[in-house]
Amino acid sequence: MISLAVLTALVALIALIVKAAGWRFALKRFAGALLVLVIVTFGVSVLLRFASADEDVQKALESLDVSPNAQPCVTALGTGATKEAVDACVEDRGLDDGPVQQYLSWVNQIVFEQDLGYAYYKNQEPLSEVIQQRLPRTAWLFLYSQLLALFLAIPLGIWSAYQAGRSGRTRIPLWLLPIGVVVLVLLGVFGGLMLSSVVFLGIIVPSVVFHLFRGGADADSATNFLAFALLSIPVFVLGVTLRYVFAIERDVFQLTGYEPWSEGAWNHLSSVWLPALVLGLAATPVYLRLLRADMIQNLQQDFVSVAKAKGMSNTHILLRHVLRPSTVTLITVLGLNIAQLVNGAIVVEYIFDFDGMGSFLLESFARREFFAVQTVVALVAVVFILTNTLIDVLYTAVDPRVTAGDDR
Amino acid sequence: MTNVADQIAARSGEAPAAQEDAAGGPKSQRKSPLIFKLSVIWLVFLVVVTVLGKIFGESLPLLVDPNERNADKIAAGPSWSNLMGNATFGQDILSQVVEGAWISLFVGLSVTLVGILVGGAMGLIAGYYRGKIDAMVRLVINVTLSIPALLLVIFIVTIRGQELFWVIAALSLLAIPAIARIVRASALQVADREYVKAAEVLGVKKSVILFREVLPNVLPSMLSFAFLTTGIVIVVEGTLSFLGLSVKPPTITWGKIIAEGQIKIDETPHMVIMPSLVIFLTVLSLNFVGDQLLKRYDIKEAGIG
Repeated sequence: MISLAVLTALVALIALIVKAAGWRFALKRFAGALLVLVIVTFGVSVLLRFASADEDVQKALESLDVSPNAQPCVTALGTGATKEAVDACVEDRGLDDGPVQQYLSWVNQIVFEQDLGYAYYKNQEPLSEVIQQRLPRTAWLFLYSQLLALFLAIPLGIWSAYQAGRSGRTRIPLWLLPIGVVVLVLLGVFGGLMLSSVVFLGIIVPSVVFHLFRGGADADSATNFLAFALLSIPVFVLGVTLRYVFAIERDVFQLTGYEPWSEGAWNHLSSVWLPALVLGLAATPVYLRLLRADMIQNLQQDFVSVAKAKGMSNTHILLRHVLRPSTVTLITVLGLNIAQLVNGAIVVEYIFDFDGMGSFLLESFARREFFAVQTVVALVAVVFILTNTLIDVLYTAVDPRVTAGDDR
Repeated sequence: MTNVADQIAARSGEAPAAQEDAAGGPKSQRKSPLIFKLSVIWLVFLVVVTVLGKIFGESLPLLVDPNERNADKIAAGPSWSNLMGNATFGQDILSQVVEGAWISLFVGLSVTLVGILVGGAMGLIAGYYRGKIDAMVRLVINVTLSIPALLLVIFIVTIRGQELFWVIAALSLLAIPAIARIVRASALQVADREYVKAAEVLGVKKSVILFREVLPNVLPSMLSFAFLTTGIVIVVEGTLSFLGLSVKPPTITWGKIIAEGQIKIDETPHMVIMPSLVIFLTVLSLNFVGDQLLKRYDIKEAGIG
């Protein structure tokens, strides 16, 4: 049922794009996407075969009278596996077949029989059930984190690009900053905060906020510094630190695990906001820097001068004329970020004991359940490639300046 | 290693002069050299301390055997004899961080070297020769981009064992397409310039043009991206060892110290904060240096995935 709905939606979307961008272009892009998809899935399938390439292991397996390639099956079945079970698994997975044969039967199983295989081979727990249970969690996490990142990046990016070529507001005098910093540092020291918190809350945050309010090129530098700082904090460091600050030192965030929407909106949101914040903060600088660069370029275009000459307000020009073309770039990066997000999800879900797809992948690696990993990686690649192809083609439909032959 | 550091240090001296040329530019450009200098100082300091720590080890002041357990100082905070405090079993964290820096820097630099050599060559040839080679390189880039990088690295390390060689090999797979993509883009730009066209018209061999015209003009951006890539690789290596998937114990890495400190973080917050701060400063410095070099050579800003 679900696959049918997805298929219809996909066909409708493709038809829409073909109508907008033309047959040849759409066909070319989708053929390219299909090629990449086949190579990725085949590559993952071949990589899996290396798991059983150890000669000592092969000899040991042969002495046990099972196939020398049975290593993945033996680890998946765990201790106490019977010879029959291993043989059946080898047969099922086509481990004795050549790489192409094995790949084709795997694709056949997924695409035509619509069977994703097992998540836990030993318990025969189907992967589709695990995905159904865990994917919504990761999906919500992704959605909230990206909304948060855009919510932070768009205003900051606009402000930064707008102020880059201006002088600051002199009616906010510069000497206010050192006084404010001294006051805040004293407050922090006597309030009994840790040294790192004093540096962060007393010096860095007020400096950035002060320059942001004052405007001018310094506001641009402050945002740049903020973006660089966020870009340089590894996700795991950010996650561990925020978990310590909000969940362990104080009880602002409960580490009780995910609550679905059916448990109430408040419960749901309060169970995901911290992991989403970590992922969102990690994605913010990417959008911020891109939006800023893109908007600065747009601000130098002739249409901005024309709009200004016509007497339009700065706000109107910024939001309607300059931000609009930049949203297309933002969406492109949003698509490209999917693979990056999966990386982040693995780390964040590990830190917060969040039972989503990321921690499932990590668990599968730990259990050497490579069949499940292979299928999930292939699914991620499918989502990534399809989304980006769609965005790519839509991009051309929206912006006629990009032509089909432009590969840069 | 010191060679690169010398180069950066030498370049930092030119910074004010180069900035004065752009006197008409916005105010922010005049300020950046200070941060640039601080970044270079930090990087040089880190490299020097790491190398000295590797050679002289415990004979240096403040450094002790990173595995030595001191029962009197279990989970003690920072003090004058242990600048970064002590770990869960009383080990000196400063010594552990210095020891761990070796792996981080070694992995970061060797992966970047492989990435520059292989990815740079791929991108250069693809961007200049175009045609079939270009199509193939683009395919390789697109394929690797569509797999989450961390997954690929975890996959390889789990299958092939947690050894230094395989960690470097897996991370190189991540760096090669990223660098190839950027070098290809700037090689495409350079190939469009008049002097390249002029050389072609004069009948100079394509391979000669590649080395004498295209390569020198792509090299600066390649070098600045080398800094950014090193930062990214250090982060990914840290993530890997945080997840317990990098080089096996007893080898100490930054990520491993953080992972150990995180277990009882309310008792040992300094065990997380100190190595985190070192990683943060290192990556920040690499980013600043790379970005500043990029701006210096006036190459359009581009993302690296």
